[in-house]
Amino acid sequence: MSEATQTIDSHPQTEAAHHPGVGIYLMVAVFLVVLTVMEITVFYVPALKTVIVPVLLILAAAKFALIAMFFMHLKYDSWTLSWIFVFPLTIAALLAASLLMLFAYLSHHLA
Amino acid sequence: MAAQPKPLAPEPQNYLEGGGLLGWLTTVDHKRVAVLYCAAALVFMALGGIEAMLIRVQLWAPDNHLLSAAVYNEIFTMHGTTMIFLVVMPLEIGFFANFLIPLQIGARDVAFPRINALSFWIFLVGAFFLHLGWLWGGLPDAGWFGYANLTERYFSPGLNLDFWVVGLLILGVSTVLSGLNFLVTIVTMRARGMSYMRMPMFVWAMLVTVVLILIAFPPLTVGLIFLTFDRFFGTHFYQATYGATPILWQHLFWLFGHPEVYIMALPAFGMISEVVPVFARKPLFGYPMMAYSLVLIAFLSYGVWGHHMFATGMGPVADSAFAITSMLIAIPTGIKIFSWIATVWGGSLRMTTAFYFALAMIIEFTLGGLSGIMHASSPVDLQQTDSYFVVAHFHYVLFGGAMFAILAAFYYWWPKITGRMMSEGLGKFQFWLTIIGFNGTFFPMHFLGMWGMPRRIYTYSPGLGWTHLNQLETVSAFILGLAFLVMYINILRSLRSGEEAPADPWDGRSLEWSVASPPPAYNFARVPEVRGRDALWVMKYGRAGSRGVAMFMAGHTPPMPESQLAPPTEPIHMPAPSILPLAIALAIGVAGVGLVIGEWRVIIIAAVTLFVAVVGMGFEYPEHGRESHDPDSAPSSGGVDPRKVGLWAFLGNECVFFASLISTYMVYKSRNTGSPGADILEIPLTSISTFALLMSSLAMVLALAAIQRNDKRWMRVWLGCTIALGLVFLAVEAYEFTHFYHRGLALQTNLFGQSFYTLVGFHGFHVSIGLLWLATLWCASLSDRFDKLRALSVELAGLYWHFVDVVWVVIFTLVYLMQQVKGA
Repeated sequence: MSEATQTIDSHPQTEAAHHPGVGIYLMVAVFLVVLTVMEITVFYVPALKTVIVPVLLILAAAKFALIAMFFMHLKYDSWTLSWIFVFPLTIAALLAASLLMLFAYLSHHLA
Repeated sequence: MAAQPKPLAPEPQNYLEGGGLLGWLTTVDHKRVAVLYCAAALVFMALGGIEAMLIRVQLWAPDNHLLSAAVYNEIFTMHGTTMIFLVVMPLEIGFFANFLIPLQIGARDVAFPRINALSFWIFLVGAFFLHLGWLWGGLPDAGWFGYANLTERYFSPGLNLDFWVVGLLILGVSTVLSGLNFLVTIVTMRARGMSYMRMPMFVWAMLVTVVLILIAFPPLTVGLIFLTFDRFFGTHFYQATYGATPILWQHLFWLFGHPEVYIMALPAFGMISEVVPVFARKPLFGYPMMAYSLVLIAFLSYGVWGHHMFATGMGPVADSAFAITSMLIAIPTGIKIFSWIATVWGGSLRMTTAFYFALAMIIEFTLGGLSGIMHASSPVDLQQTDSYFVVAHFHYVLFGGAMFAILAAFYYWWPKITGRMMSEGLGKFQFWLTIIGFNGTFFPMHFLGMWGMPRRIYTYSPGLGWTHLNQLETVSAFILGLAFLVMYINILRSLRSGEEAPADPWDGRSLEWSVASPPPAYNFARVPEVRGRDALWVMKYGRAGSRGVAMFMAGHTPPMPESQLAPPTEPIHMPAPSILPLAIALAIGVAGVGLVIGEWRVIIIAAVTLFVAVVGMGFEYPEHGRESHDPDSAPSSGGVDPRKVGLWAFLGNECVFFASLISTYMVYKSRNTGSPGADILEIPLTSISTFALLMSSLAMVLALAAIQRNDKRWMRVWLGCTIALGLVFLAVEAYEFTHFYHRGLALQTNLFGQSFYTLVGFHGFHVSIGLLWLATLWCASLSDRFDKLRALSVELAGLYWHFVDVVWVVIFTLVYLMQQVKGA
């Protein structure tokens, strides 16, 4: 791990003080379970087939955000870390969307 | 980090002295690692140059059969691969960035010195791997972009492409590790007072470059993994016969390939932005716009890959979008060119060799940029694709841009690196030879391309009107070769008998010129405090830049700050050497050989060695990783832990990796025609594993909370729960895979099978790595030395574990719950 003399450590007490308590962790876990149950329910309810894609995407995004913000502490840590993660995450989403659209055109065109 | 095992003696000692061969093999000093990169790259530059000469000799005359078509394919493939991956990138990133970033930001080393050494050794192993074909089955021969499905086993049955695929995968690991290291170094280790808008422009360029590396390399890695699976495990990711599409490779490759052009160009821009102001004796014109334009170039460069694929028929909308972004990128690039010209304008010019090359770079690169704008127009591009016009264009960009900048940088920073001056006379001789040779070789290619000469043909018929220009190019190429011979002579002459260089031979503007030439191992006797942009210039002349010019015009010697030239007053703790980076790199190389020759025992032995070496590196110095309460280690910039920054950047890189895998899955799920398909997936079973993984994340944060309150017992309990739940997840996955296999879904069965197993399997692989990490941590926690000061180690492992969890959240939704949804 880091070895050079000039690296900077934030003190653990400060880190711990900025992290949420056990109560918050448990509450987030409950939310995650509820959201997952909702996802599975959406899968099995025929009436929701027409909106399954946006609903599932929103639920997944909510779970992703909860874990990243609370379990991974992005909500409590430096903005630098958020930038370092969110920028490539956005690029990743754009990449996936672009490839899907390009191949969708290709499939449609060939068909 | 405070505790270091081996303090240096307080007397100054330059970094090149002492240690012998073992010292170089075990070095973790960024300057020595940089020199190792330089030595390797110069060897490969000679090799790539000889390959270029062979190409030109072959094209000297029509109907020439000096080289066979097969050998010619090998030579141009290796020329491109060598020059890009083994010359330009290692020189810019491995050599100059490695040497200069810590010195320019006022740091004593990079953030992770041993990982820096590891990057070099992995690079060297990857480079040798690419050349193993000399001994075994021939060299790679599918072009530097290895288009599918030419690279499939059916069309290329030999070992040569196996070496190419595995070699590039290994080189990718090296580059990403370097990228992470430099990103963390720049973000967290800048000297006090060096804000982002005070960083030297080269550091800015490297910051943007490493971000680009982190988002550009994963698609290539995924593309190479698919190719590896096709060649070794019988999948069909790129074979149209099985419903797949070779176009997928082109997308994944160019998603890397075009940013790669800027990964090579941006450091060159940074170098020129350092050289020009020093020899024009003016501050860089439009510093903020130069910085912002770097960011804009990088961002746009990720959205222009399609202009390499106009000929594939992406459709009018996509063609238009890529044409617009490709044209837009000329705007920030133009800003840079005008800023350099404005910096030169009205300056007190000193016409050194470095400045000659810098000025030439501005002109030659602009020519390459202009032909690039032509390619942005899809109808024009269709005429130019795969012709010599394209060869002319990219050589003007990569040689005229990157290589000219590298040559300027060589002459500019060589005195700092070696403590010896290079001969200006030989340098200028080399410069004129380079100008004549370069333009004579590549400018006529524009005409040949427009006249219809395709690239990559090994010979041509007489009577096409191409002969005379090809002969001119061949003669010019040899003049260019002579120019590099002069450079090698100049280097050797300088090392043997060059004039000793003072600390600041050019009246420089940035901090590297404030220390001795060559610098001491610890870089700075006292970590400098930065008071403005052009930190050293401000130290020497104060803020009023014109005063320095006036002094120069009056012939006065600038007042050099003495503080860095004096010996340190107290011992400076520096990282100790380590043999483990070399051991890890060798293990990776052996694993690669095992894969290519199909010896699983070799792979297993190498993997075990690798694991032991990696864990050994983690425990090499027990004091590493402990939190420090030393007030001297208070944040000077950034204020965030370097390890945390590094891990988050790695996770960002992983996002792009999984996005590439997931989008391939979505595309191939829709194209899948055979059975079984996505309907084989079972939600109840996977729901169990999903809950297990979610709860493991809860257990992980509870373990962190426990160690933060110094409760080791409960930390071990919760860590154990995390491991147990992770094992449940893996067990369900193993059952699922076995179950599917018995129902007729193997890796090779159809498009769904291969993309599903690859995506979910790679996620499972990540879970396994996480479990190994957690298990190692659990064992380490048995030691008395493991206390709350190690909380960060638990947090880092936790971050990785939670990331594995969020990736599964996405996979569970897109793969399992949306199994009936038609995608692309």
